[in-house]
Amino acid sequence: MQQSERVRTGIPGLDEMLNGGFLPRTANLVEGAPGCGKTTLGMQFIYHGAQAGEPGLILTFEQFPQQYYRDAASFGWDFRALEKQGLLKVVMSSPEVALADLERFNGKIARLIHEMQAQRILVESLSHFERMSREPRELRTLLYSFFNALKREGLVALLTRETYVLLGDEESEDADQTNLGFLVDSYTLLRYVEIESAIRRAIIVLKMRGSAHDKRIRQFAIGSQGMVVQDTFRGREGIMSGNPRQMAESFVKAFIRR
Amino acid sequence: MLQQEMWVRERMSMNDLTFRVYIGDMDPELLTFLKRYVDSFTKVDLLRFFHNNPHTIDTVENIAHYAGRDQETVQRELDQLATRGLLEKTLLGQMVVYALVDNPQLRKQLADFVTASNDPQFRIRLIYYLVKGGHF
Repeated sequence: MQQSERVRTGIPGLDEMLNGGFLPRTANLVEGAPGCGKTTLGMQFIYHGAQAGEPGLILTFEQFPQQYYRDAASFGWDFRALEKQGLLKVVMSSPEVALADLERFNGKIARLIHEMQAQRILVESLSHFERMSREPRELRTLLYSFFNALKREGLVALLTRETYVLLGDEESEDADQTNLGFLVDSYTLLRYVEIESAIRRAIIVLKMRGSAHDKRIRQFAIGSQGMVVQDTFRGREGIMSGNPRQMAESFVKAFIRR
Repeated sequence: MLQQEMWVRERMSMNDLTFRVYIGDMDPELLTFLKRYVDSFTKVDLLRFFHNNPHTIDTVENIAHYAGRDQETVQRELDQLATRGLLEKTLLGQMVVYALVDNPQLRKQLADFVTASNDPQFRIRLIYYLVKGGHF
């Protein structure tokens, strides 16, 4: 796959992890605990696209558009201006309505996508689909249909999902819930990691269909200009902790045991 | 009879005075918008909601939830706004969903109304109008 065929997220460090960015017409899942940075990552993906002349849509099942405008403004991203320029639209709906609308011919969401020639979409959050069915198989079918509808419209979709564990060593309450990993084209996990009584943020790309990707766990920070993926923990192991064994245990707890 | 007539005239003149104080110098386009679409506090909430979330497509149940109002009232008000042409009501499978009509002129009128309603003086007039039952 050529670098030019990638859809860059614009997040320093993440595009390198993704071997240049997401692939076109793909569904990309970002999963993590509340507050760990999923929405920031998603907004940055949309903002970067808009800056590059690729209009984007935010489909929200939980936050009001004003919350996105406010949160984006705190990073210096003027979402209201992007809306005025036709580079962004925020659609507030519910999973059942969005799915039914996308399934029908020339639905409102599809019309909006065509009118603004949207190329990217942020969907927040897939967790809300879980209220549509308690049956995992049925839920997977619904989500599969939803992802395909987004791809049909030519979109690169970034889909967020909450996990209800804050740290990796807690037992996951949703372990038996629908495993979305195999439905999506890429699967990225954000995690809090406790290292020597300090909480840090970690990111790993677990899967990227049809592409090589960086499989290492990296640190990331959220600063005044958004998310920045930094070096691997391994590089800092000897410098900061002085206890490589503890570090390894933290990673196992955060990612592997789940 | 004469006394009764005088009382009626006095009331009318009071009403005229109140009318002049509260509504008299209101922008004619805003007044037309008010008369056409706004006759309850719930509608004010819903109009503000659709202005702030112009791409919302959702069911009564969810819109009532977002607006923090009871579903039965919201159902009635949404239907009225749809009948009056401000909202689009669509059957989506077995769901009925509502969305703001895609009419730039109407959206601008709605924006003007919401902007005006941020002004305390206008809000007083709006409350007077609604308390009067949406009629002059």
